[in-house]
Amino acid sequence: MSTSVKRVYGYLAEFESASALYKGAEKVRDAGFKKWDCYSPYPIHGLDDAMGLRRSILPYFVFFGGSTGLLTGFSLAYITQVIIYPTIVQAKPANIFTTAAFFPIMFELTILFSGFTVLFCLLGLMGLPRLNHPLFASRQFHRSTDDGFFIAVEARDPNFSAEDTKALLEEAGGKNIELVEEED
Amino acid sequence: MAHNVTSKDIPLNGEKIDAKHINRPKFIALIIFIIGAVASAFLFMNDTWKGGFAYSWVFAFMFFISITLGGAFWMILHHVTNSGWGVSVRRLMENLGFVFPFFAIIAIPLMIPSVQNDLYEWMDMHRDITAADVKHNAEVSGEEYVAPSAYAGAGHALHHEAEVTHANGVESDHYAHLLHVKYWYMNLPFWLGRVIGFFVLLGGGIYILRKISIAQDTDPNPGCERLIKARQYSCIIMPIFAVVATFIALDFMMALDYKWFSTMYGVYFFAGCALNSMAVLILTLTWLRSKGYLKTVTSKEHYHIMGKLMHAFVIFWAYVSFAQFMLIWYANITEETSYFLLRNSDQWWVWSLSLPFLHFAVPFVLLLPHYAKKVTKIVVPICIYILIMHIVDLYIAVIAERGPSLTTKAGHPELFVDHAAYLGDIVAFITVGAFFVFMFLRNISSANLYPNRDPRLLESANLHN
Repeated sequence: MSTSVKRVYGYLAEFESASALYKGAEKVRDAGFKKWDCYSPYPIHGLDDAMGLRRSILPYFVFFGGSTGLLTGFSLAYITQVIIYPTIVQAKPANIFTTAAFFPIMFELTILFSGFTVLFCLLGLMGLPRLNHPLFASRQFHRSTDDGFFIAVEARDPNFSAEDTKALLEEAGGKNIELVEEED
Repeated sequence: MAHNVTSKDIPLNGEKIDAKHINRPKFIALIIFIIGAVASAFLFMNDTWKGGFAYSWVFAFMFFISITLGGAFWMILHHVTNSGWGVSVRRLMENLGFVFPFFAIIAIPLMIPSVQNDLYEWMDMHRDITAADVKHNAEVSGEEYVAPSAYAGAGHALHHEAEVTHANGVESDHYAHLLHVKYWYMNLPFWLGRVIGFFVLLGGGIYILRKISIAQDTDPNPGCERLIKARQYSCIIMPIFAVVATFIALDFMMALDYKWFSTMYGVYFFAGCALNSMAVLILTLTWLRSKGYLKTVTSKEHYHIMGKLMHAFVIFWAYVSFAQFMLIWYANITEETSYFLLRNSDQWWVWSLSLPFLHFAVPFVLLLPHYAKKVTKIVVPICIYILIMHIVDLYIAVIAERGPSLTTKAGHPELFVDHAAYLGDIVAFITVGAFFVFMFLRNISSANLYPNRDPRLLESANLHN
């Protein structure tokens, strides 16, 4: 087992504080890295800017998810109550103007579909659920849920190099820089 | 990330608007108001126009008072929730809210009995009965009757009339009975007392909150005392606001048809208040920023939050107004449907039907992307659009009553409007609008543009969301 070749996941660097992480993130961003991430026990205001993250494309999915819900609600009410089986209640019309009664359904389905789109697209975009993460191989990384601030630069990134990236992380203020290898 | 604003960036004595930027619009607004006031006085006294113009005045009054009420709402809410984001735009809310007490001046024409009789059928009927009662008592006792005590008997007289007309088989009996039952609330002295109470209580509250805020601007040792005091006062003023906003809608708009009632009406009016005023706040902020003010303490982030609140109230307005419509439509009870029968027939129907699309769907979709709230070039037209749609909304609510009413008092001619009454609507709208703009600009120029010594100003200036 010890003789097998392990895949390198990337470099993991620890930072002293949230502000050190913030400044370090700006440096890594400016170096042009794409496949990297920050890890912190709590959300840090403005870190997405410092990381140069683009806006999520999730809202566009949600818009179409919600629209689908609206159309589903409308078709459901219209097809059943107007075309297939018109129900006359209190002499109310069975035509397009009956939809007033079905607005709550259209509204609820819009929200339901939007909610589901958010949940499932979010999980899909994040690559969740997953059973393991290569960074869990690092012992010091366990502190990221307690009091540790980390930046991990992945070896998949085209800018990655064994020496330069390490030097960059050191320059950015990273401590305990560790080359994380995936456990087989 | 932009450079962090620190206390060094805030001028010691704050920013005040330069006379060269404000005097000219203020002067123009004043001139328009004076001309409009003269024209309005003529229309109020002209026999052909006065009936229709009374409705125009209520419409203009309600539209602009809804903006001031909304300004007051945002200010009070800001204090109550201990918000930090809007400290740098809070003075704009205070200035907008402080126009409210001055609207007592605009309410004066609505205190005149001859105007009221054209607008509010119930007042007309009350006065008829009081007059009959006075005459009757004078004949019996042979002496002059004192008016107030005569009025106290009006409730009884209404009941009496209901019985008499019922016996005679006259159609309007149950209307008199309605007035009799509603007498404890719908009587002239209480109505007048309420209207005065609205302006004194809420106007006073707004005045106090604004005064606390302005006093901070010149305090050499500014602390948190005023912040806490304003929050404590706001907790008392918030319920007052809720009651005043609701009953202004009830007493001026819903009372146009005393037979109709809706428990949603107050909320419906309030939703419009908050929506409208947020649009006006965004427009004012943009105007001031274009003149070079408020640049250090406000940013795109403020636009984003204000846009989100406006978006929320686009939805809230639709939710409330649709709930009101759907429950009445679904239940189909005669005394409730009259409101929508009137507004969903003839030409009004086109306007009513357009509201869910133009007042809700269009601004809802337009405001969805984040940049639509942040980019001034996009958000300003949307704000103007929302204000225009809200004019339509209140126009339908008020002016529809001017046409032939579905039920009118027996023996009284229906108020058919056969002249171009919409011209009166324009005159009233411009007059009240000019008054509103003048008072708003006066408030803006009378104090610093933002609370420059507020302990939470920097938190607001460095807002990030």
